[in-house]
Amino acid sequence: MSRYIFLFDLDSTVTRQEILPTIASHIGVYEQMKDLTESSMRGEVPFKQSFLQRVELLKSASVSQIREIVSNIELNEPLVDFIQANKSRSYIVTGNLDVWIEGLIEKLGMEKNLFCSKALLDGDHIQDVFNIVDKDAVIRQMVLPFVAVGDGNNDAEMIEAAEVGIGYGGVRPVAASVLECATHVVYQEDKLVDFLNKLL
Amino acid sequence: MDFSRTIIISCAGMGNRLGLGTTKALVEVDGKPLIIRHLEYLEEEPDIRVVVGYQAKKVIEAVNQYRKDILFVFNHDFKNTGTGASVALASKYANKYILSLDGDMLIHPEDMKKILACRHEFVGGNPIESDDPWMLQTFEQDGKEMVGAFSHCMGNYEWNGVTQMLSAKMLNGNGHVFQLIEPHLPVPFMELRTREIDTIHDYERAVEWVKNGFV
Repeated sequence: MSRYIFLFDLDSTVTRQEILPTIASHIGVYEQMKDLTESSMRGEVPFKQSFLQRVELLKSASVSQIREIVSNIELNEPLVDFIQANKSRSYIVTGNLDVWIEGLIEKLGMEKNLFCSKALLDGDHIQDVFNIVDKDAVIRQMVLPFVAVGDGNNDAEMIEAAEVGIGYGGVRPVAASVLECATHVVYQEDKLVDFLNKLL
Repeated sequence: MDFSRTIIISCAGMGNRLGLGTTKALVEVDGKPLIIRHLEYLEEEPDIRVVVGYQAKKVIEAVNQYRKDILFVFNHDFKNTGTGASVALASKYANKYILSLDGDMLIHPEDMKKILACRHEFVGGNPIESDDPWMLQTFEQDGKEMVGAFSHCMGNYEWNGVTQMLSAKMLNGNGHVFQLIEPHLPVPFMELRTREIDTIHDYERAVEWVKNGFV
């Protein structure tokens, strides 16, 4: 058995739909969100800045409404099965906010295996984002070699540092920065999981 | 029977000598890219890896249009390494056997069937035709023809890059594919009809070969 720890991006890797654009379309700000998400994916705007802009756009909706939308988002079922079968060494690393993804993370049973951004609440609304996950900092803390799976520009650092760095393009195109440093890239969920099983 | 296989198609190289400005795996022969010709014969194979490097994105897009369940393996150092490095990278975490094919070659359809039916290690060779080939020295053992050595000076067949080996034996190397195999010789020989496409002359001959039904 290998000693690999598995780090997964959440959005468009564990989910079959893009989370923030899905929320945006529910609350009627999809077009604005699309522009922000695409420029962030391409790495034209630093993740931190782009994420804060996107939160600002969605902030008018209540946290409970967003949590509900996120909880019902469609999942990459074969990957969810893999994560649940290997829970002790799987981690979700996402820029998304704790308060928005809480229900989804509970559904996955990954409450303890999560690195994410954090927000302060004022009642049922976001007061401030006070912590944006630094995926680079997360991987600098890793002692054992790890496998990283993701698709966006903000996953490139963890994919580059991974022993096995996998770009997953089943939902949206893999960012150019990921293609430049990944050891592997795969476009189908069953094939992704088939390969992950070989890394156990 | 305990047989599992990962197919490796190496498409990382630049193919400068051909001068068509595209990576060789995407060169079209009779209207179809070489890589797609391979994939057509591999429909039944569940585990295929394509090694990409030069023009990786173009190769990935072309393959994805044809078939989705492919694992792409990057050889980012394709400028400084040989196909051996690509095969070594793709042999990691693979099934028990790997079958290695070059993306810049054509294989006779009948021979492809023979390759896919084979359930043991082999090294593939053609009758000698090229000007400066790596050759196979073979000998007979228990009625079977075995490859005993690779050589630039003498041999009875031309090495064509096609081989099936235990994946665990193919994990280390940066140069030629045969250098990965060398420490494990002798290995059974398989005679094949293939065409490698290195130069524009090779290309023209390959096109003729396909148009004439591989005769």
